[in-house]
Amino acid sequence: MENDDRRMTKKTKLCAAIATAALALEGWALLVVSVSPARWRPTMIARDEPAARAIYETMIEKLQKAERLSYMSSCSGPDARASFHNVRLEKPDRLYLDAVNGMSSKTTTAIGDGNNIWIYFSGDRPFVRTIDDDESHERTISEVYVRQATTGERNSAAADMDLLGRAWYGLILDPEIFHGRTDPLEPYIDGIRYRGRNKVGSEMCDVIEITYMNAHRARHFWISTQDHLPRRIKEIIRLAENHVTVEEWMKPDTDPEIPPRTFTWSPPEGWRQWTPPSPERFLLPAGSQAPDFELRSAGSGTISLSAYRGKVVWLHVWQAGSLHGREQMRHLQSLHDKHRDKGLAILGFNCVDDRRIAQTFLRDNAVTFPTVLDATEAAQRVVSVGLASRTLSEPLTCIINRDGKVVDAWYGSEKSKRRGAAAFKDAGLQVETE
Amino acid sequence: MRAYELIKETFLRRTFIWIAHLSWLALYGLFWWLFLPDAEQFGGFLFLFSGFFLPLALSAGIFGDDIASGRICILVTKPFWSGQLYIYRFLGLSLQGALHIALTGVLAFALQAFMRKGSVEGLGMWLVASWLLFNTCAALSTSLSVVVGRSFNSLLLLVVIVTGWFVTNLLMGFLNAETMTGALTNFIRYACPPFELLRKFAGGEYEKFSLTVGRFSVTKSLACVVHCLMLTTAYGIAGIVILCRREFSRVRD
Repeated sequence: MENDDRRMTKKTKLCAAIATAALALEGWALLVVSVSPARWRPTMIARDEPAARAIYETMIEKLQKAERLSYMSSCSGPDARASFHNVRLEKPDRLYLDAVNGMSSKTTTAIGDGNNIWIYFSGDRPFVRTIDDDESHERTISEVYVRQATTGERNSAAADMDLLGRAWYGLILDPEIFHGRTDPLEPYIDGIRYRGRNKVGSEMCDVIEITYMNAHRARHFWISTQDHLPRRIKEIIRLAENHVTVEEWMKPDTDPEIPPRTFTWSPPEGWRQWTPPSPERFLLPAGSQAPDFELRSAGSGTISLSAYRGKVVWLHVWQAGSLHGREQMRHLQSLHDKHRDKGLAILGFNCVDDRRIAQTFLRDNAVTFPTVLDATEAAQRVVSVGLASRTLSEPLTCIINRDGKVVDAWYGSEKSKRRGAAAFKDAGLQVETE
Repeated sequence: MRAYELIKETFLRRTFIWIAHLSWLALYGLFWWLFLPDAEQFGGFLFLFSGFFLPLALSAGIFGDDIASGRICILVTKPFWSGQLYIYRFLGLSLQGALHIALTGVLAFALQAFMRKGSVEGLGMWLVASWLLFNTCAALSTSLSVVVGRSFNSLLLLVVIVTGWFVTNLLMGFLNAETMTGALTNFIRYACPPFELLRKFAGGEYEKFSLTVGRFSVTKSLACVVHCLMLTTAYGIAGIVILCRREFSRVRD
């Protein structure tokens, strides 16, 4: 009887041990398989693999060595909407691009004839929220075109067209790489890694992953093993939420027959040239009261604007994915180091990025000035309603005087030094911004 | 010897089983021959048929038939633990699945070598994934057979999974509350037969809008296998517990 009991106890113990081990093993398995790709982790930053980089460079070389190139692309997002683009390019600098949203018949076309880039619209010009108001849109709704000289530092035609044509989804890979332009993200590549082979339609492709700016962005390229041209490009931008866009190339051809008239266009009689206005005209005008806020800071606690009353505040709305963001941050940090005791307060404000990415960005750039890191709707309303900014994707600077009133506000970072100095003077602060 | 007899019994339980095996193999051969697919297309086809439909076909009435005929009373009164009956029958099914999937692999490799078309690159992973799914579905169906009469266990499982798939997809389209869809997705992903996980384990993650791309790492593959085996064990234990606790009647249904 005692022996039976002892045997039972031994058996129970064995069962309990096996069950515990199994539970622990399952716990580990679930932990590994359930790691969410939705949340940023340092392991997402790609390490460079020479073979993968060679595939990428072969693709770029193939694009740049071709004399002519044509393809159609569909750009879409998970919301099931798609914009379609028709691209034809010829060396040295001729281009034809058109874009259409879904089943719409209204296209936006850009034509580069070597001297000018012409952008025009079939039907009415779309309303572009960042630059239009009802009145200005009504005045320029039809029979207008945009003309840009091809000389000098102009934007990529694809980027301009996306803005003016209000494409739901723009091209991910700048087609003007064909003309020798460098992809603007190229200097920010963390690394390129190989991710296996996969088919797009009937085309076998090598898949590579490129991450940029500590994996703030990632692009996945499906590159044909036959012609080394892309068939699919996926871009992931890691903001507070992940934004995924996919561009699919159809019928790419490096030696197509393109009639010369494709690259020529002149405005029909009666059409007017239209210069898109600056989105800055909607920002809070000088003399307006800056909106007060109390929002979560990059460290612990909160930051409120009213706490800086009595100081001149340089409010800088930034995001980690901004291409010139690093230089701007270095400039602001040096201003903070030099003039914080002279009545100047530099205040960062980020309301779009994933918190961990933004914190990594601040650490990597040795930023010590106070920064709001808050992607809540309340924080976004401070920018969109309080500061009257129509875009959250552009870096925005707002100089606020000692009474809490706006002195000047502008987008971009390249003009900050010159314009900043003037704004400081207006705010009664004698400091150098260089 | 007892184990051998019980496993053999599972193999020879019904004539239908041999018809299912042979017609399935002929179907794979025909698919390969006619469509010359690559490993991923063939793997996906194999995954669905061998991993999901085959265990349903083989386990139809695996206990339900004996319960309906009253034979179960003779089986469970034999001098061994009732759980053993479950385990050896399940092992019989699993062995059949392994043999079937191995033969499918041989068939695919032979056809590819003979016709010199298509590709078998990565097919091995699809074979393993199919067998793992086979085991999970077989365990679930076998456990269901202890409580569902006659051969209706497979039919019920088929209806539940297919309906569940449609309803879930429909719900996902309408529900915007992330926590609710998140909980539902997690339940389906980790507590139900791991279709999605095993498909990614075999073929990698290349969906159009997914946030990652590429094949599973060794650690993740290992974790995936462990999770599948644990799920199979959990389904099996549930069946064994029910079988051991149930009282059976000698009267025919």
